[in-house]
Order: sequence, then structure tokens, then C-alpha cells
Amino acid sequence: MRKVLIAGIGSTAFGRHAGTPIEQLGVAAAAEALLDAGIDRARIGALYLGNFISGPLNGKEVLAGIVADQLGLPNIPCTKVEGACASGGIAFRHAWLAVASGQCDAAIAVGVETMTHARTAETTAALNCAMDNESDGPSGLTFPGLFGLAWRIHAQRYGTTRRQVSAVVRKNKANGLRNPLAQMGAELTDEQIEASALICDPLQLYDCCPASDGAAALVVVADSLRSEISGVPVEILASVQTRGSARIAGHADLCSFDATVSAAQRAYAMAGISAKEVDVVELHDCFSIAEIVDSEDLGLVPRGEGAAWAAEGRTAVGGQIPVNPSGGLLAKGHPVGATGVSQLYEIVCQLRGEHPNQVAGAEIGMTHNLGGTGVACTVNLLRRMA
Amino acid sequence: MAAIPEAATLRMSRCVRCGNVDTPNRSVCGRCLSGEFEPVDVPGTGVLASWTTIRRAPTRFRDEAPYDVVVVDLDQGQRVVGRLAADSAPPSAGGRVVAISADGANAVFRVSGVATL
Repeated sequence: MRKVLIAGIGSTAFGRHAGTPIEQLGVAAAAEALLDAGIDRARIGALYLGNFISGPLNGKEVLAGIVADQLGLPNIPCTKVEGACASGGIAFRHAWLAVASGQCDAAIAVGVETMTHARTAETTAALNCAMDNESDGPSGLTFPGLFGLAWRIHAQRYGTTRRQVSAVVRKNKANGLRNPLAQMGAELTDEQIEASALICDPLQLYDCCPASDGAAALVVVADSLRSEISGVPVEILASVQTRGSARIAGHADLCSFDATVSAAQRAYAMAGISAKEVDVVELHDCFSIAEIVDSEDLGLVPRGEGAAWAAEGRTAVGGQIPVNPSGGLLAKGHPVGATGVSQLYEIVCQLRGEHPNQVAGAEIGMTHNLGGTGVACTVNLLRRMA
Repeated sequence: MAAIPEAATLRMSRCVRCGNVDTPNRSVCGRCLSGEFEPVDVPGTGVLASWTTIRRAPTRFRDEAPYDVVVVDLDQGQRVVGRLAADSAPPSAGGRVVAISADGANAVFRVSGVATL
């Protein structure tokens, strides 16, 4: 595998884009990424687009080809990939693979989703397609419910309190307030968080990410094309995708995701670094408790101490390991298929030193994108280039 | 003094070739890839791994909300997802539960022990 760079990035704001067709969001983000990279479009050899539920919510498929068409790209392979909430991360990994393996010298990864136009029941039904419904559907379990199960175990095993978990919500909402792309930044008090409606005990409303519209895109190029780009490049040290069980019964521990643990271990090995060397991470905080579990699964925080670290400010910008300076899914929003690409967008901004919540001196950044019941996971490690 | 009620049994599938027991919605055995199964009744007794109360339910279960979803480790080794009976005593992780009814591998459990009798 040869050295691959992220040469250009683009992102729409996350939130409501009422009336904007889904493909136009993807096109806007991709055009921004192409212009940022300053690359000749004729150089792009493949496009991968992450999307989860445009079929049921928009009645639109073949989005990869539609987006490429509007971008005026050459007659290249354009592929839509689906892995529930990890769709975007998987799209990026395939773009990386295409270039790293020498299939082409440049590729583009797009992630896009629109959700806010749909009724809650429609969105819930579409999102629930990410479950092994033959196994877990009959119980009436939902995705917030999955994380309710995890929270109970974390609380019992490690003594994690409601107030500690609220620290994750406060941090990410406050980070989002300073990120112009974020949908739901806010200054919240513990009392406000803890007075919000119960969704799936112990999860309350502020513990859950919002439904969002949005898109993000990245141009990846072989290192040999460095002289052909004008954007500030970032090196891809590792890009890993793993699988976990699609059903609850397949998870020996409901308070840890095997797919995350193995993806992180493989990514560290591939990059030749340890978790201690990570300066900043954007991880999959679809729910507040998920950030706690993920930070432990990634080896960034000692097992069982995720909630305490958040409460002690160690995961804030300026802390030991800043987690989700973008606001994360909780505050930036979670347009499902866009999220994995958006996380990389945020980390590239950090490594270029131009993030609105800049982590001082960030050299190595990590992203973690998790789909379904932990059935699909991607982890990436990026490094600033001198 | 009430007797301890007999547990409902869960109808699961046993691989004819290797004996692996799993939920019935499989076309091949996850351990040996054999496609031959025989039904097996598994006693609905076990330990509660975790639970949550679903207050915002999928449309088809809306009329039943709020309801408790439980993950149970059966005494015979299988992990299953089910419901907690509305009249059950409050659950606690690690506590014992017993199935009071089952449709295939989908069972309704109740916290077992003196408190519920």
C-alpha cells in the first residue's frame, strides 16, 4: 500500500436543509473539497458515497452516480456504500483503498443524508433497519435502547453516575456552540439535561443526537500527486474497517463494542503508534454514554473511567485527550451517512491548525465511526504534514 | 405459601451436526455451517444481563409503550433479548429471572424470587 493524503475537504452545515434535494448537499460538499484540493477533476479515478436511508426517506438511490454527474467527473466507477451509521467512514476507506492500492491516483469520498423532512415515525422505522430485525426486532428494542442497556451495565460495574454522563453532554453541546457547522450547540446546565424527557431509561432527550441533514466530502490523492494540489494535505496513517455482531446475543459484553476494540488495535498497529500519541479524536457519540464506551474501547481512556474523565474535564479541548471538539454527533448533528466523512473533515481542520475549537499543536488525530449494533466500524489515524 | 412457578420454555434450534443451540431464525449453524436443525425447548430461567425502558417505541409497538426490554443469559448458556412483564418486581442486573410465556425464542420474563410470589 502506498502513502495517501487527504488533499481537500468540504462540508455543508449540519441541521435543517428543508427543500434542498439530497444530491445537491452531496454535490456542494464535494465541489468544496475539489476546489480546496485544487485538483484537476480529470484526475479523479473513483467516487464512493456513504448514505444509509435515502431510499426509504427520499425515494432516491444511485446517489453516487447522480453526484458525480453533477460534478462533471469523468466516466469513473461511482459506488454507494451502506453500513448504517458507519456508511460515511466506509466510503472514505474505500476511496483510500482505491488510491493506496494503485487503482487510481485520486478519489473522492462523499457522505450525505437528509432526515429532518421525514416524520419521526418514518425516520425511526428507517433507522431501525440497521438492526438484525429477525433477532432483536420482536422485543421492541430501539437504538437508544441498546445504549440504555450499555449505560445500566456501566453504572453497575464502574459506579458511573447520571451527573458524570451529563458532563459529556455539556462538553459536546458547548463545543458545538463554537462550531459554525454544528446544528445544536448550547450552554446547558446539569439540571437542564437531567430534567429532559426520558427516552430509554436511563437515556434522556439531551443524551441523544438529533436527526440532521448534511453532507461532507474529502479528496484523497497518492503522495506522488502532491505537486498537483494546492490544499494543505494531511497524511492517512491508518484506515481500518471491522465487523461486530449484528445482534444483541452476539455481544458478550453490552458495555463494549468488539468492532471498535479490534479496529483501534489494528489502526494503532498499522500506524505504528500507541493510543497515547493521539492528540485529538472525533468519535461516535450517537448517545452520551456511547462517547464514554467508545473512548474506553479505543484505548484512549482507562476501562471504566470514561465518565470520570469527562466529568474531570480531561476530554475537553485543553484536556489530556480532547474528545469531539466539533461538538460530536450530539451537537454537530448526525446526518447518518455523512457522519464518518464529517469526522475526518473536523480532524483535518485540527491538523491544519484552523479548527474553531483548535487543539493546540495537534499532530495526530483519530476518527471512529460505528454502525448499527456495532456491526460495522471504521477507525482512521491521520497525521499533520510538516 | 406460593410455589415457585414453572418456567416457560423457549423454542430454539439445535444443530443436528454439532449440537450448537441458537435462535430459530438461522438457515445455517453459525459454528459448523450445517443447515440441519431440530427444535429444542430451553428452560426460560436465567440471569438478567441488562434492561432498559423503551418510552419512544417503534410504530408497531407504540400501543405497548412504555415497556422494558431485557437481555437474559439463560442457564443453558444462550443470550436472548425479551420483555419484562409489566407486573414484574423491579429488575436489577445480575438478578434471576424466569420466563412466564414464550413465542419461539421471544419470551416475557419476570424477576424471580420471593418478592414476586
